[in-house]
Amino acid sequence: MLALIIKRILLAIPVLLVVASLTFVLVRIVPGGPFDADKNLPPEIIANLNAKYHLDKPVPEQYLLYLGRLAQGDLGVSYKYVNRTVNDILADAFPVSLQLGTISLTLAVLVGVPLGAIAAVCRGRKEDVIAMFLSTLGISVPGFVIGATLIFVFAIKLRVLPVGLWESPWHVVLPAVTLAFSPAAYLARLTRASVLEIVEKDWVRTARSKGLSQWNTVLKHILRNSLIPVVTVLGPLTAIVITGSFVVEYIYAIPGMGRFFITAVMNRDYDLILGTTLVFAVLLIIANTFVDLAYQFLDPRMRIED
Amino acid sequence: MRNIGDDRYLISAFAKRLGHCFLAMLLLISVLSLSACTRPRSRFETGVLRVNLGTEPPGLDWHTATDSTSFDVVSNLMVGLTQYTNKLTCAPSCAKSWEILDGGRRYVFHLRDDLRWTDGKPVTAYDFEYAWKRLLNPVTAAQYAFFLYDVVNAREYNTGKLKSADTLGIKAVDDHTFEVRLRKPAAYFIYLTAFCVSFPMRKDVVEKWGDRWTEPEHFVTNGPFKLTKWQHEYKMELAANESYFDRVPQVKLIKMFMVPEASTAFALYENDELDFIDNRSFATPDVERYRNSPEYKNFPLLRANYLAFNVSKKPFTDVRIRKAVAMAIDRSIFPRILRRGERPATSWIPPALPGYSPDSGTKFDPAAARALLAEAGYPGGKGLPKAELLYPNRDDVRLTVEATQDQLKRNLGMEIELVNQEWKVYLATVRKDAPPMFRNSWGADFPDPETFMNLFTKDCGNNDTKWSDPRYDALIEAAQGELNAAKRADLYRQADVMLCREAVPIVPTFLATQNIMIKPWVTGIAINPLDLQFFKDVVVSDSQANQRETR
Amino acid sequence: MEIVEKAPVPVAAPLDQSVMARIKRIPTAYLALWIIGAICVVALLSFMGCSLCQYSFDQTSSDFLAGPSTEHWMGTDELGRDLFSRIVYGARLSIAIGLTTAAVAFVIGTLYGALSGYLGGKVDTLMMRGVDIAYSLPDLLVMILIGVLLGRGTVGILIALGLVSWMGTARLVRAQFLQLKNEEFIEAARAQGQSGWNIVFKHLLPNALGPIIVALTFTVPSAILSESTLSFIGLGLSPPACSWGTLASDGWRSLRAHPHLIFFPSLFIFITVLSFNFLGDGLRDALDPRTRLGKKSH
Repeated sequence: MLALIIKRILLAIPVLLVVASLTFVLVRIVPGGPFDADKNLPPEIIANLNAKYHLDKPVPEQYLLYLGRLAQGDLGVSYKYVNRTVNDILADAFPVSLQLGTISLTLAVLVGVPLGAIAAVCRGRKEDVIAMFLSTLGISVPGFVIGATLIFVFAIKLRVLPVGLWESPWHVVLPAVTLAFSPAAYLARLTRASVLEIVEKDWVRTARSKGLSQWNTVLKHILRNSLIPVVTVLGPLTAIVITGSFVVEYIYAIPGMGRFFITAVMNRDYDLILGTTLVFAVLLIIANTFVDLAYQFLDPRMRIED
Repeated sequence: MRNIGDDRYLISAFAKRLGHCFLAMLLLISVLSLSACTRPRSRFETGVLRVNLGTEPPGLDWHTATDSTSFDVVSNLMVGLTQYTNKLTCAPSCAKSWEILDGGRRYVFHLRDDLRWTDGKPVTAYDFEYAWKRLLNPVTAAQYAFFLYDVVNAREYNTGKLKSADTLGIKAVDDHTFEVRLRKPAAYFIYLTAFCVSFPMRKDVVEKWGDRWTEPEHFVTNGPFKLTKWQHEYKMELAANESYFDRVPQVKLIKMFMVPEASTAFALYENDELDFIDNRSFATPDVERYRNSPEYKNFPLLRANYLAFNVSKKPFTDVRIRKAVAMAIDRSIFPRILRRGERPATSWIPPALPGYSPDSGTKFDPAAARALLAEAGYPGGKGLPKAELLYPNRDDVRLTVEATQDQLKRNLGMEIELVNQEWKVYLATVRKDAPPMFRNSWGADFPDPETFMNLFTKDCGNNDTKWSDPRYDALIEAAQGELNAAKRADLYRQADVMLCREAVPIVPTFLATQNIMIKPWVTGIAINPLDLQFFKDVVVSDSQANQRETR
Repeated sequence: MEIVEKAPVPVAAPLDQSVMARIKRIPTAYLALWIIGAICVVALLSFMGCSLCQYSFDQTSSDFLAGPSTEHWMGTDELGRDLFSRIVYGARLSIAIGLTTAAVAFVIGTLYGALSGYLGGKVDTLMMRGVDIAYSLPDLLVMILIGVLLGRGTVGILIALGLVSWMGTARLVRAQFLQLKNEEFIEAARAQGQSGWNIVFKHLLPNALGPIIVALTFTVPSAILSESTLSFIGLGLSPPACSWGTLASDGWRSLRAHPHLIFFPSLFIFITVLSFNFLGDGLRDALDPRTRLGKKSH
C-alpha cells in the first residue's frame, strides 16, 4: 500500500508536467490574446503589455521561464486581475469550493447510494420507479434550472433560505443541494445497477442460502462488492466537485474557484488557466490514488500494480 | 436449505430500513431549513448602502484598470482635477480653477490647498505629475495611456521612442499649480481631467507596496470614500472618508457585492438585501414585471450598438447595397424584442450630445431599399451571395442579429448567415479579417461626440470596417481643434451625415439603456448617461422611506 | 425453484432475436423503445424537410412570448417563433449528439478501459495516467480549439463532445474488469484455453454491462446539455437553427415570467433521458448472461 502511494507520487510529476505542457501549448494556439478587448489598443501599448508579462519572448523561452517558476511553486500572475497572483487567487477561492464541495459530495453519497440500493432491492416496484424518476430529473435538468427553481421556491416564495451570497451556514444549503443533484442521481443509478449485478451472483445466493444473518449478507457482501463502480466514479467526481462548479457559484454568488475554469479561458488569462488546471490535476491524481487503494480494501483480490 | 422465496421478506426488510433512514434524513434537512426562517430581519440599515458590482473589479489601480466595474469603485474612492456634475459638465474638484492658454494648447490648473489623502498628507500638484508620468511610462503598461496622447511628447515616451519623461508636457510648477501642454488644441481635453486615468497617485505608496498597493491595508486615496474591506470575488466595503475636503458623505458604509447572475441579484433586491440595482442585476423579464414600480427608472446611455460592413468585401463594396440594408431595418423591433427600453437610433451621434440631428441617418423605407438593391443589380435580392454576419455570443446580441436577419430576408430578400464566436475569438477575427458584416457596440469614454466620431477615422485602431475618407478625417480633425461650440457641433453633424447617410460603412441600430431600481429609503444616487455611479450624496434612512411612501 | 450450488461456466448466448424478445417482455423498456423511435422518426422527417408542424422553426411573428394556446400550443419565444416547431426542429441535433457521443464514449471508453483492466499491471498504471491527463486538460479550451480547427458544423460538435466524454466510461470498464478478472468463471475460461479476445468480449464485458450502460445513459443528457455550451463558444449551430440544449439555456432566465420557455425543452430532454434509462435497464437484462441462463430470482 505504501509502495503504491510512493509510486503514484513519483508518477504524478511527469503527469503534471505533461498536463502543464499541453495546456501551455493549447492556450497559446487558441485565437485571441489576453489583451484583446472591445476597445482596440494601439500596437505600442500591446507591446508594452507583452513586455511586462514576458509574452514578447519566444514561446520556448516563455515555457522554460514558466517551468522555472512552477518549480518554485509560483503559478504566475493574472493578466486580468492585474494586482493579484495566481497563488493569491487560488488561495482565496479554493477553500470556499472545498468547503461547499465536501458538503455536496457527502450529501450526494448519503442520498444517492441508499436511493440506488433501495431501487435495486425493490426492483420493478414503485420505489424503483420513483428513484428512476428522481435520478432522471437530476441528470436531465440543467444545473442552472435546478438552482433557479430552488431559489424561486425556497428563497422567494417560502422565504426560508437565503437567495445567495456566502455568509452563514444557511447560505450553504441551496448551493450544496444544487451541486449534489446530478452526482446523487448518477450514484443512485450506478449503485442500483451494480447491486443488481452482485445480487445475482452465485456466491451471494450461496451465502444467503447458508443462512447467514440477513443483514450480514446484504450489507457486508452486496454493498461492499457493489461499491466498486461507485468508488470508481467518486474519484474524478471528488476532484470536479471540490474544485467548484461554475454554474452553482455563478447563480449563488459564491466566491469559489469553479468560475475560473470558464472565465480564465474566456479572458485568455494564461497563467490562471494553467493554475486552475494544475490544481485540478493534482486533486484528480490524489483522488484516483485513493480509489485504487479503496479497491484493494473492498475486494482484496483486485490487484493494482504497486 | 431455505427456499429462495424467502428473499422477498429479506429484501423488503432491508428496503424498509434503508427507506426509513432516507426519510429521516430528508425530515432533518427540512426541519433545519424551516428553523432558519424564524430569524428576524430589518429591511435596511440606516447609513448603509448595499449595491451589486456584478463581478470582481479586475484591479483598482486606475492606471492598469480599463473596465467599468473597476471605474465604478475608483470614482467613489478618488477625485481628480475636475469632476462631472449630474449634467455631465466639468466642475472644479481638486482644481479650484483653471486657465486655457495658447489657443487651447496649454492648461494651467490651480489646486485647492485643503486637499488631504486618507493618511493625512496633502494632495499636491506633484502627485498629479507623478501619476501622469507613471501612466505614460511604458513599464506600467497602462492600457489607457493613449488617453493622454494629446499631451506633448506623450506618445513618443509611451512607445519608447523617447527615453526620458523630462520633455513631457506635464509639470508641477509648485505644490498648487499643475501645467499641461498639448501638441494640438483638443476641445475635449478637459473631460479627461474628470476621468479615472488622470487621477493623482502617491509615489511613496505605490513604490513601497508594488502590485499590492491597492489592497485595503495599503491603499491611499483622496475621494469621498475609502476602501476598508475587500473579499475578492465576493464583496467590497467602502467607508465614508472623514477627511474628505468637500462634504463628508452621510452614508457611513457602502457594501458592494459581486453577484454575477442578474436574476439572483434581482431576487436579493426583492428580498431587501440590496438597496440599489442596475442592468447588472436585471434579467429582462424582471424589467417587465417592475416597469410600473415607483422604484424603477430607465434612461438611455451613451452606448451605441451598430451593424458594420467590411466595405472591402462583396457585396458591400457597393454603397447602394449598404444603404439598402440601412433602410431595410426597422429599428423599432429592437426595444420590442430586447425589452429593456432600448432607444432606436439612426444617427451615430446620440441625442444627448452636440452635433446630433434626427435627420443625419436614413429612415426605415423598405420600398426605397428594394429600389436601391434593384439599381445595384439585385432585384428582389436575386443573385446576391449569402453574406456572413459575425457576432459575439451574448443573449441580447443573438436576438438582435436574429431580428436583423429576419428583416433583411423579409424586406430585401437578402439571405444572411449568422456566425457566432466566443468573445475573444470574435475580437481576433474582426481585427484580422472582418467578415462582410459584423455586429459591434461602442461606449462613450467622455460626454463628447469625439469619442464616437473618432472611431471611423483612418488611423483609429478600432475602425474595422476598412472604410476611410479623407474628407471625413478632415472634418473630425477640424472639430477637435475648434473652440467655438456651435461650429464644432456643426462639423460633427456633417461627419455624422457622411457616416450614416452617404457612405454608410455602419448602420446604427439602437442605444442601450440603463435600468435601475432604488429602494424608497435611499436618496441621492447620481445617475447619468455615462453610467458613472457616484454615491457621495446618498442618504439611507427611515425618514426618506416614510416621506416617499406618504407622497 | 432450485438453487444451483456449483458455479458453472456461463456460456454467453449469441446476440440473436432473443434480445428483442426479452425487451418486449419488459413493458417499460418496450415503451421507452417506442418513444425513442418516435422521436428519431420525427427528427429524421424534419431533417428531410417534411415538417409535422404548422409553422416553420424560423418563422417570426409579432406574437412575442405568448404562452401556450391553441394557436401555439407550447407558446412562442422572444421573436414570436413557435416553440413546438423549434423543439421538433431541435430534436435532430440533440438526438444525434446524444446518440453519437454515447457511441463514441462507449467505443473508445470500453476499448481503452477493457485493455487497461484486462492487461493490468504496468500497462494499466500507464494507461490510467493517460486518462488523468485527458481528464485534466481544460475542456473549454480544447473545444474552442476544435471549433477553430474544424470550423463550425456538426462534425466539430461530435468530435469535441466525444473527445471530452470517454474517460469516465474507460475508468468504469477498467474497474469492472479488474474485479471480474478474479471471478471463478473467468479462471475457468482461461483454464479451458480460451483466447484473450474471447474472454474479454464473451465473458468479461457482458458481466460488466450494468454500470457501463448506466454511464452511457448518462452521457446522453450531458452531451445534449453540453451542446449549448458549444453553441456559446461558437462551435454549435448558427441561428436561427436551434437544439434542445440551446433552447434550455436561452430560456432558463425566464423561469418566473415565461416558464414555458424552459419547461417544454426540459420536458423533452427529460422524457428522452427517461426513455434511455428504461431502455438501458431493459437492455442490461436482455444482455445479461446469467438471466439468459434462466437463473433469475424473480
